[in-house]
Amino acid sequence: MHIDCTINGNERTFEVSKTDLLLDVLRRDGYTGAKRGCDTGACGMCAVQIDGEPAMSCVTPVVKVDGATIETIEGLGTQDDLHPVQQAFVDNSALQCGFCIPGMIMRSKALLEENPSPSEAEVREALSDNLCRCTGYKKIVEAVLDASERMADRGVAADGGRSSDRGDDCRCAGATGKTGPDSRGETRR
Amino acid sequence: MEGVERDEPQAADAEGSPMEWDEPANNRKSRDERVNLTTDVEKDDARKIVTGEAHYTADYSRRFPDLAHGTVVRSEVAHGFVTDIDASDAEAMDGVYAVVTPWDDVVPDTLYSSSGQSYPEPSPWDMRVLRRHVRFVGDPIAAVAAETSEIADRAARAIDVEYDEREAVFDVGAATEPDAPRLFADDEVENAQSGADYGRNLESHFEGEIGDVDAAFDRNDVRVHETEWETPYQSHCVPEPHTTIAYTDEDDRHTFITATQVPNHTRRQLAHVFDVPIRDVRVEKPRVGAGFGSKQEMAIEPIAFALHLAADRPVKLEMTRREEFYALRSRHPMDLTMRSAVTEDGTIVAMDLYARSNAGAYGTHGMTVASNVGTKALPLYPRVPNIRFEGDVVHTNLPMGAAMRGYGAPQGHFAVEAHVDEVARDLGVDPVEFKRRHAIRKGDLDDVSTILKDDDRFARRIRSCGLDECIERGMDAIGWDDVEQPDEEHLHRGVGMAMCAQGSGVAGKELGAAKLAMNEDGSFHLHVGGVDTGTGNDTMFTQIAAEVLGCRPADIVVTSSDTDITPFDYGSYASSTTYISGTAVKKAAEDAKERILYWGSKLLEEPEAHLETEDGEVYSEETGASVDLEEVGYEATYGHDEREQIMGDGHHSTDESPPPFGAQFVDVTVDEETGEFELDKLVYAADCGVAINPPLAEGQVEGGQHMSLEYATSGDLEFDDEGAPQTTGFRQYGMPRTTDHPPMETLLVETHEPTGPFGAKSIGELPTNGIPPALSNAIRDAVGVRLTSLPITPEDVKAAIERRGERT
Ligand code: FES
Ligand code: FES
Repeated sequence: MHIDCTINGNERTFEVSKTDLLLDVLRRDGYTGAKRGCDTGACGMCAVQIDGEPAMSCVTPVVKVDGATIETIEGLGTQDDLHPVQQAFVDNSALQCGFCIPGMIMRSKALLEENPSPSEAEVREALSDNLCRCTGYKKIVEAVLDASERMADRGVAADGGRSSDRGDDCRCAGATGKTGPDSRGETRR
Repeated sequence: MEGVERDEPQAADAEGSPMEWDEPANNRKSRDERVNLTTDVEKDDARKIVTGEAHYTADYSRRFPDLAHGTVVRSEVAHGFVTDIDASDAEAMDGVYAVVTPWDDVVPDTLYSSSGQSYPEPSPWDMRVLRRHVRFVGDPIAAVAAETSEIADRAARAIDVEYDEREAVFDVGAATEPDAPRLFADDEVENAQSGADYGRNLESHFEGEIGDVDAAFDRNDVRVHETEWETPYQSHCVPEPHTTIAYTDEDDRHTFITATQVPNHTRRQLAHVFDVPIRDVRVEKPRVGAGFGSKQEMAIEPIAFALHLAADRPVKLEMTRREEFYALRSRHPMDLTMRSAVTEDGTIVAMDLYARSNAGAYGTHGMTVASNVGTKALPLYPRVPNIRFEGDVVHTNLPMGAAMRGYGAPQGHFAVEAHVDEVARDLGVDPVEFKRRHAIRKGDLDDVSTILKDDDRFARRIRSCGLDECIERGMDAIGWDDVEQPDEEHLHRGVGMAMCAQGSGVAGKELGAAKLAMNEDGSFHLHVGGVDTGTGNDTMFTQIAAEVLGCRPADIVVTSSDTDITPFDYGSYASSTTYISGTAVKKAAEDAKERILYWGSKLLEEPEAHLETEDGEVYSEETGASVDLEEVGYEATYGHDEREQIMGDGHHSTDESPPPFGAQFVDVTVDEETGEFELDKLVYAADCGVAINPPLAEGQVEGGQHMSLEYATSGDLEFDDEGAPQTTGFRQYGMPRTTDHPPMETLLVETHEPTGPFGAKSIGELPTNGIPPALSNAIRDAVGVRLTSLPITPEDVKAAIERRGERT
């Protein structure tokens, strides 16, 4: 069977089998940013946004996303033009091995879209299903609070964090942008 | 009767004393001078990580259009012999490329150890790639390679295994009884370790003594304190599960893209197991989703390679989280007995520590982890004249323990640091003052860390020690002298402290190497064997090189850990990377710098001795004339009469292993009625020598406390009566979440370690050691009960409070 969905602003059609899970389909197609940490919905490392809501892609049957809008870490910003949440993680040294980070960032982005100025307790609550083994979470929580301030400064909260000046929509499949899905899997280190 | 032979360690700062160390002049710079080290250089892969462009092993799958996916078939019984494997249904399935069993030609029968240690491994060779004699639920028996992982899983489930089941033993005490089931026949182990007695399931026994402990305990002016301690399994919970892609390329290179901390050891061991020359094996470490010791193991590479040989195509083997919990590696559970003899005036005259470790089914890192129990924590007390340390490492039919961040030191610190606290409270003296009085100081000769060796070459002269300052500043930060009690009568607040020590690398058993090449535009390529598993070593390496070369870290491209390309390194373990590999990088940069000055001197027509590098230039300290590194690069590469590519080599091995020191503080509120307790705050003060990249160093301390918190309060693996695992997912295992973490404060207490690169020591493991004893001490402070086994749960606290009630 096939399903249609919008991934990071691009309309896509996938040939899938009924039992496929979203994480597998994404990763097969080169969206390897979402990580497989447990495959049981218990670690958050595979988190993406489906229709604006955070979701664990490893337990989401792909048939459920037919017609949905999916956002993955690849759609957020480029290395030269980071989304404020990404920039805040970099500036706060809120990452070590990085395996949990795509999920953390997608979850944090969803939080800030819903609640642009969360308290520390609210950040901790929102991230409580996302495990990180390296950082002790301290710098991650600081980064999310910092991102919330940056986004307030930029006024992006008004449009739900989808300000087009980050060029979310211009990296369609096969384009030359260096984050295009076709270049993934080839870049060393 | 004294029986005390050991000299009081002496502070030895005077000239001509053993404190002297031939430190190169460029190694000691003030904070303002070491520009590239103290500024917060961005982690070099940070942008890749936050955009999802960082690639870990599994992400390379798309490179291989004909990739096969592997699955391992694991033993369902705790002890027995596999008598038959029927794989015919599996082999007949569409999309199945190969099934391998212990009887296949591609599966070697060679005995080996999975521990990625120096050569010969100080671990017994007691495992085979696939096992006929299975020793725990999870032992690998067979494996499948198929077109997709779903097909591989389905095929694996269709394989029938017949066992001749044997009696199993799960208890360490029972395992050493004469009639216990025996896990290893004599011909099932090579490279056995000292003290091994496989007739009693004993992998190793060791003991060492300084002074005369028995005589000290017999003195009639001492009081003897004895306490017992117990620690559980702890899972690494490594974020990226163990993953390997094995293939042979067009140049016949047997290549492994693999999540490992030890590429060079893995290469050597694969060559050994498969009987191929080392030069034909290539191990590439891509970005690794952390290791914490679990990836100091060649846990899955041999199975992936056997599948590759059988399927004749690239194979990816990726563990599930379930397998990570029950079939791979964990921290060794232990029980420990700590005794000390103390005089009335509060002087500890003897300490005696015994540790019994449950190695589980195999001996990987068994003896070495158990020896670190004593050799990391006991050195905190060099003023104690008589010290004994003894240990047994016992096999049971449970999952194997192995290396894990801290490497025995967390178990040892729990026993030692909580015991000494208890002794002080018994004496009615302040536990912190009591510890400080006995604690290690700069100038001391630490011979306790060599207590198990007959070679005192490795006795560590303590050349840097910020322990006292760590305690001082930590007490301030936690509010030690000023603990306000809650209004509710059933709530009691207390604070506890534990001192911590570790090492920087393994004394006398390390090698790190690095190579640096200059491009014509004045940039550099740094090739280094040192392994970054996410901690930020690659960034730290560029900072060290940049500090020497006088350029920006961003001008250095670092390539690390591909055994075909980068120089040798023992790998990322034992807190060796900053100290050992970092020094190799520094030496390589110094070597290159000599050539840069040579070419600078030609261009500037001034003697090399007048020249220095800074801000991307070579300049003359005499005349102020300068030339860009770029000009130097072009001149060296394209010069008229003479040409060279400027390169530098560096390698480092040493008998030194300076300990980083630290102090962990815990503030806790205990509910006397329910036993519930809440951690109000954690403070860790760490002496890391000079901090290279302070935010990354803080990150190490924060992450280490996270693991230590789990060890103290929530982590453990459970098994049923047949040895079957009950903890197989994050939901059962108590890994702390964002909401479980109390406020944490990190203090970096800088000292200068003259043997380290720009004064640095390594602190990757140090902060895993503190919370269990500090929490036990804090609860003792709050409600007067002593918790002696981990994890500490409200039920345990409640039970202890009830016992206290009965006693009084
Ligand atoms: S991989 Fe999806 S939640 Fe763990
Ligand atoms: S940075 Fe390694 S798991 Fe979070």
